[in-house]
Amino acid sequence: MTRRVVVTGLGGVCATGANVPEFWENLKAGKCGIDKRTYSAGEGLDITLPVAPVDNFETRAAELGRDMTRADRFTQFAIAAADEAVADSGIDLASGLGARTAAIIGTGIGGQAAMDAAYIGMLRHGRRPHPLSILKTIPNAAASHVSIRYGARGPAFAISSACASGAHAIGVCAEFIRSGVADAGIAGASEAVLTFGALEAWKAMHIVSDELCRPFSKNRKGLVIGEGAGVLVLEEYEAAKARGAKIYAELVGFGMNADGKDMINPDVNGAAGAMRIALETVKIDDPSAVYINAHGTGTLMNDPTETKAIRDVFGADADKLVVSSTKSMHGHLLGAAGGIEAIASILALKNGVVPPTVNYDEPDPACDLDYAPNEAKERKIDVAISNSFAFGGLNAVLAFKRV
Amino acid sequence: MAEMEAALLEIIKNHAVGLTGPLTRETPVSDLGIDSFAVVEIIYEVEEKLHVEVPFNANENPFGEMKSVGDLIDALQKLAKPA
Repeated sequence: MTRRVVVTGLGGVCATGANVPEFWENLKAGKCGIDKRTYSAGEGLDITLPVAPVDNFETRAAELGRDMTRADRFTQFAIAAADEAVADSGIDLASGLGARTAAIIGTGIGGQAAMDAAYIGMLRHGRRPHPLSILKTIPNAAASHVSIRYGARGPAFAISSACASGAHAIGVCAEFIRSGVADAGIAGASEAVLTFGALEAWKAMHIVSDELCRPFSKNRKGLVIGEGAGVLVLEEYEAAKARGAKIYAELVGFGMNADGKDMINPDVNGAAGAMRIALETVKIDDPSAVYINAHGTGTLMNDPTETKAIRDVFGADADKLVVSSTKSMHGHLLGAAGGIEAIASILALKNGVVPPTVNYDEPDPACDLDYAPNEAKERKIDVAISNSFAFGGLNAVLAFKRV
Repeated sequence: MAEMEAALLEIIKNHAVGLTGPLTRETPVSDLGIDSFAVVEIIYEVEEKLHVEVPFNANENPFGEMKSVGDLIDALQKLAKPA
């Protein structure tokens, strides 16, 4: 018998929410978390850009315990989100389930701030790197800390596939549960790259917006970098049901593939292919009850390509379904995008509300779907799809249904 | 020497998350609530604050035999040389 995988816990932190309930309220309200900030690496090294920052997180990080004083911001985000998800699920990992529980936390970069601090200290101030620099920087730090904190001793590692890291982490974890490699998992992703060095590097690509993020809108000017984490608790369905767990949704499909073409330019066939794989075994009775949480970066290249890919997969039904990019509110969480957007997708499905694409004010003939512009709408949703298409042509798509 | 000892005590105290009473030379290292990596952190802080170098290789277990805070301070003072 095929094992089914369900979501029993949600945890998240980003510009528009210190926790999942706050995140969801702000998504429904169409609240945009983008603001101009200046990041400095010392005298003469400043950058000012619109970003989607998590404000006042330092106070909260200080309350996460001693282990977190020895961790980079990206790990602290992951732990804050994992704490919320694990508590939300009510899962008991001490009972022996810990040995069969996976901890898979993706990230695009890892401990950027720790690495920056080490280099700035060395090059500007002649200081040796702090002995914790490596342990803070390694991309698996978040996965390891999650494993240690909850005694999750099954498969544990980081997945790094740029902006698809979160979706890959959740999808791979679900495959482990489905195939019997694990019985439960803490899966998601985290990113914290709002530093002088990283933002200069992003700016050098000339795809970062100098104002808001306007996905699918003709006047879009690029992406806005955000930060934060999104983490799910996944469980095998029968076990979750047996313990009386609250079940948000079933992860019914996971599609991953690679364009195999280009480091930057996205490919319609790759994106469409990943969606097709995710939907291979998903029965869609009513195309108007399909919600796609788009990758929707607000770049010139992504948005028309993703639109074409959706049309390619759904044909005439593409005009019946609804799409939105919540990146217009919480920014692009890069590696963590798939984590926080999986949560947005699941809550849209559960509550029957489509979160909007805000900052949308000019239709683009190349982007001709219903993008739920500017205001949330109530709508029956049977299938929620979360798209993640990464630099380097790596695609990961998650599909959720109610149980 | 006494000045350095006071500075070392202060640094160790800041890392001693498990310490309940006062910190003296006689305090057992096991009462400090620190792990082996905290020793590495303490030494880094000693180097930064006191402008010394404490060359050691953790693989040689140079602090393995220390029982009391006094042992740790003596070992640090023996190893420390001007940076």
